[in-house]
Amino acid sequence: MSESPLLVVEDYHVGFRTETGLAKAVDGVSFTLNRGQTLGIVGESGSGKSVLNRGFMGLVSSSRMIESGSVLFDGQQIVNQDRQDLWGKRIAMIFQDPMTSLNPVMKVGKQIFEPLRRHLNMDKGQARERAIELLTSVGIPSPAQRLSQYPHELSGGMRQRVMIAIALAAEPEMLVADEPTTALDVTVQKYILDLLRELQQEHGMAMTLITHDLGVARGRTDEVMVMYGGRKLEHAATETLFADMHHPYTEALLASTPSLAHPKHTRLFPIPGSPPDIVDPPPGCRFSPRCMYAQDRCTTDNPETTSLTDHEYACFYPVGSDAGAEALKHNQDAGQTATGLKIGRAKEGAH
Amino acid sequence: MMIALLVAVSMLTFGAMSLLGDPLFNILGPVAGDTENPENLAKINAAKEQYYLDKPLPERYVRWAGDFLTGDFGVQFSTDGQPPVANLIKERLPRTLRLMVMAQILAVAIAIPWGVLAASRANKPSDRISTFTAFLFVSLPNFALAVILFYVFALKLDWLPDTYNATDPFFGFTHKHRFTQLLLPAFTLALPTASVYQRLLRTDLITTLQEDFILMARAKGESRRKVLYGHALRPSLFSVVTIFGINAGALIGGALVVEIYFRIPGVGTAIVEAVLREDFPVVLALVMIIATGFVVLNFLVDILYTFIDPRVRR
Amino acid sequence: MTDTLKPTDVEILDASDQVPADSIAKKKLGIGFWLAISWLVFIVGLAVFAPVLPLKDPDQNFIQTEEKENAITGRVTESPIQPPYAPSGDHLFGTDSDARDVLSRTIYGARVSLVVGFAAIAFGMLIGGSLGMIAGFFGGTFDKVVSFLFLVLLSFPALVLAILITTLAERSLFTISLTLGILAVAPVGRLARAATLVFAEREFVAASRTLGAKPSRILRREILPNVMIPMSALALLGMGVSIVAEGALAFLGLSVEKGSTWGKLIRTAVNSTSDLENAPWMAFTPIGALFLTVMALNFAGDRLRDYFDVKELSI
Repeated sequence: MSESPLLVVEDYHVGFRTETGLAKAVDGVSFTLNRGQTLGIVGESGSGKSVLNRGFMGLVSSSRMIESGSVLFDGQQIVNQDRQDLWGKRIAMIFQDPMTSLNPVMKVGKQIFEPLRRHLNMDKGQARERAIELLTSVGIPSPAQRLSQYPHELSGGMRQRVMIAIALAAEPEMLVADEPTTALDVTVQKYILDLLRELQQEHGMAMTLITHDLGVARGRTDEVMVMYGGRKLEHAATETLFADMHHPYTEALLASTPSLAHPKHTRLFPIPGSPPDIVDPPPGCRFSPRCMYAQDRCTTDNPETTSLTDHEYACFYPVGSDAGAEALKHNQDAGQTATGLKIGRAKEGAH
Repeated sequence: MMIALLVAVSMLTFGAMSLLGDPLFNILGPVAGDTENPENLAKINAAKEQYYLDKPLPERYVRWAGDFLTGDFGVQFSTDGQPPVANLIKERLPRTLRLMVMAQILAVAIAIPWGVLAASRANKPSDRISTFTAFLFVSLPNFALAVILFYVFALKLDWLPDTYNATDPFFGFTHKHRFTQLLLPAFTLALPTASVYQRLLRTDLITTLQEDFILMARAKGESRRKVLYGHALRPSLFSVVTIFGINAGALIGGALVVEIYFRIPGVGTAIVEAVLREDFPVVLALVMIIATGFVVLNFLVDILYTFIDPRVRR
Repeated sequence: MTDTLKPTDVEILDASDQVPADSIAKKKLGIGFWLAISWLVFIVGLAVFAPVLPLKDPDQNFIQTEEKENAITGRVTESPIQPPYAPSGDHLFGTDSDARDVLSRTIYGARVSLVVGFAAIAFGMLIGGSLGMIAGFFGGTFDKVVSFLFLVLLSFPALVLAILITTLAERSLFTISLTLGILAVAPVGRLARAATLVFAEREFVAASRTLGAKPSRILRREILPNVMIPMSALALLGMGVSIVAEGALAFLGLSVEKGSTWGKLIRTAVNSTSDLENAPWMAFTPIGALFLTVMALNFAGDRLRDYFDVKELSI
C-alpha cells in the first residue's frame, strides 16, 4: 500500500513549567505510524511515553504544559490545535486502570451509548443494539444484562473489555492503549492483549501500545520504540529488536522486567539508579549514569541517532558491536563505569 | 438511634421548660397567684387537673409524649381560650417551609453552576475572585446580610416590597406577590448557604476532574459541558449532600433571624414569642418539630448518598 | 537489592509519569493570614485600651445646634438639630439617633462581643475538648454516652437551644457566654474525639504505653499537644461562630441586658426602617466591624487548618 502514513511525529517536544524550571517530559521525538500498524512504546515510569501520547492527543489539561514540533494526523497539523473533534471519533484511547477509568456512578450501558450517540448519531435503540454487538465482540458474556450494571459490579478484566468496547464504538482510525493491562491479573493480561491485537487487525486500526514491559510488545506489535528520559533511544521492527537489540538500556529493560515472555522464576536484574531529572538532565547520554557500558565520552556528548534500514538507535557503544563489547570489558576490569557506577562480574544474558 | 435521639431532645426541652416557671400564670393570668379566694383556688385546681400540672414531672412527660405521638400537641397556654398548638403549627409551618425550600432551591441553583465554573478554571484569576466572594458570604452573618439586602433592594433600589404583609399573604395575594415577598428573606438565607456549597463542590470537583474516568470521558470526545455536568458533577456531590444535613440546623437558626427581621409570622417568630411568653406546650411542640425535621433530614441524606453513588448500595 | 519490580511499585511510580498537578501549592500561611491576624490584634487592642484611647464617651449625647432665624421676630437663636448626624470630621462614622458617637460605641461594643466570643469558645474547648479526648482515648461506655450527648446537642438547632437557655436565666455576660459555650461543646468535642482516636493509634503513643506510662500522662503529654494543633484552627473558627451567634441573639433581643454589643448596636440601628434609610452609618459601622472580625477569624482559622492539613474540620 502506498497510502500516506496516518501519524507523522517530528521533533515533538512537551514541557511543563515548574518552579525549578522547564521539565522536558518529551524531548524531540520523531516517529511514523502507518494505518493498520501497531507501535509499541516502551520505557520505565517517567520515560515520557504516556506524556508523548497524551501530548499529541491534546489530552493534557494543564496550563503549565507547552508543546512544540510537528504532528501530522492524516496530513493535518495538530500540534497546538484544538483536537476535540478527533477524540473518540478518530483517535480513541484506553487507559491503564479499568477500576478508575470508568465512571463509577454511571451505568455501563450509558457509557457505551455516549460515543455511539455523539459520533454516529444513533438513536437509543440503535445504540443499544450496537453496544450489545460491541460487548459481544470484546468477549463479554450476557452483554444485554451488563448494560444496566455499574462498573463496580464487573471484574477488572470485564471492565477493561468494556473500556475497549467504548474506545472502539465509533470505529476510530487510531487507538492509543496506555498500559492497558498493568493493573490486571497476570492471567487476564494475556487475554486482553491478544484481544487488542486481534481487534486492531480486524478493524485495520493504527495503534500505539504503551507499556513498561518489553515482553508485552513482543509478538503483539509491528515496531517497538524505546524511550528514556523523554528521548527515543532505540526504534526497530519488533522482530529485529528482539533478535538484535543495540541499546544497553533496551537490554537492561528486558533483563529487569518480570514479563509474560519470561518463564517463571527467571532471575531479574533491576536497573540500578532511578530515571533522570527531566528539569536538569545529565549531560551527554541520559542513560549514562545507569549504564554498564558508559565511557567518558558518554558523559559529555549526546550520541547521534544511527539509522540502519529498519533499526535506529542512539548509542556510542551499542550492544553486540565490538565497541560495545570492549566498553563493557573495560568497565568490568575497572570495576566501575565512567559515571562511577560499581559493577561486578559479567552480567548473565537476559535471554 | 433516631428515636433515642428524639427522646433525649424532648426530655431535655421538657426538663428545661419545666424549670422555667409557673405555667399557671400563662393560663389564668394574675388569678394564678391568688390562693386566698376560694373561687380562684377552685379555678386553679381545675386548671391543674386539666393540664396535669399537679402531677410529678416524669408522669407529665410521659403523658405529654403519649399525646404528642398521637398528634395532640396540647394547647397554647398563653393565648386566650387556649387554642390547640396544632392550629398555630398549621398556620405557621407552611410559611417557614416555603421560605426554607425556596432558600434551598436558590442556594443549589446558585451553587452548582458557580462551583462547576470555578472548578473548571481552578486557580485562574476568575476562580480566585469567586473563591474570595464565597468566603465573604460565608463570613457574613445572616442578620447582617438581611440588613444589607434590605437596605439595597428594598430601600435604595425599591425593587422588592419592604414589608411583609402579615395579614395572610398566602391566600389573598397573587402568586407573584407571594413570591416577591419571600424573595429577599430567601436570598438572605440562600447566599451564605450557596457559598458553603460552592466551596465544597469546587474542592470535590477539582479532585474528581483529576480522575481517570474524566480523562476517559474527554478522550471519548464528550463536550466540555457534558464532561463537567454529566460525568464530574454527580460523584462530586458527597460533601454538599453531607453538609446539606448538617447545615439544616444553621439554616433553621438563620430562618429564625430572617423571619424576625422581615416580620414573617412563621415558626421562628412563633418560637421566639413563645419562649418570651414562657408558653410551655408551644415551645415544646415547635422544638420537637424542628428537631424531628433535622433528624429526618439527616436520615434522608443517607438515602441520597445511595442515589448519588451506586457503590454505597448494599 | 530486590530482585523483582512488583506491579504495585509500578503503579506508585507511575504517578510521576502523569501530568504534574496544577495546584502544588507550597505550604505557607501567606500574607492574608498575617493581615487577618493584624486586624484581630488591632481590634482586640482597641477594645482593651478603649478607656485610655482618645475616644469620645460612648454614652454622651453630642447634640449639635444651629442658628435659626425666627421668621416672625427675626431673632437668631441656637436650636438643636434632630440627630442622627451624618459622618463628619467630628464624628467619623456619624452619630446615632441619640447623638452618640457611632465609632466609639462600636469600639466599646467590641469589648463585650469579643469577651463573649472568647469565653464561649474557651468553655467549649475546656469541656468539649476534655470530654472528647477522654472519650476517644478510653472508649467503652463512657465514649458511647459522650458521643450520644454530643449528638443530642447537635440535634438542637443551635439558636433554638440558645434561646431556651437565655430565657431560663437572667441575661448576664456570664450566662450568655455560658450558653454559647455549651453550643460549642459538641462540635469541639467531636473533633477532639476524632483527633484523639487518630493519635491514639500512632507509634509514639503505643511506645509510651508499652513503656508503662499512665493513661493520664499519655493523654496530657502525648495526645494533648497533638490534638491542640487541629483545635487551634477550630478555636479561631469557633470564636467567629460564637461572635455571630451572640449577634444573632442580640438581634432577637436576647443578648446581654447591660452594656452594648455589636449585635445590639445593629438591632437598635435597624429597628426603624426610616433610621436605616436615612442614617445607614448607624447600622453599617458595627456590621463592618463584626464582618471584618468574623472574616479575619475565619480566614486565619482556614489557613491554619490548611497549614496543618486537618481533614476532619469543615464548616
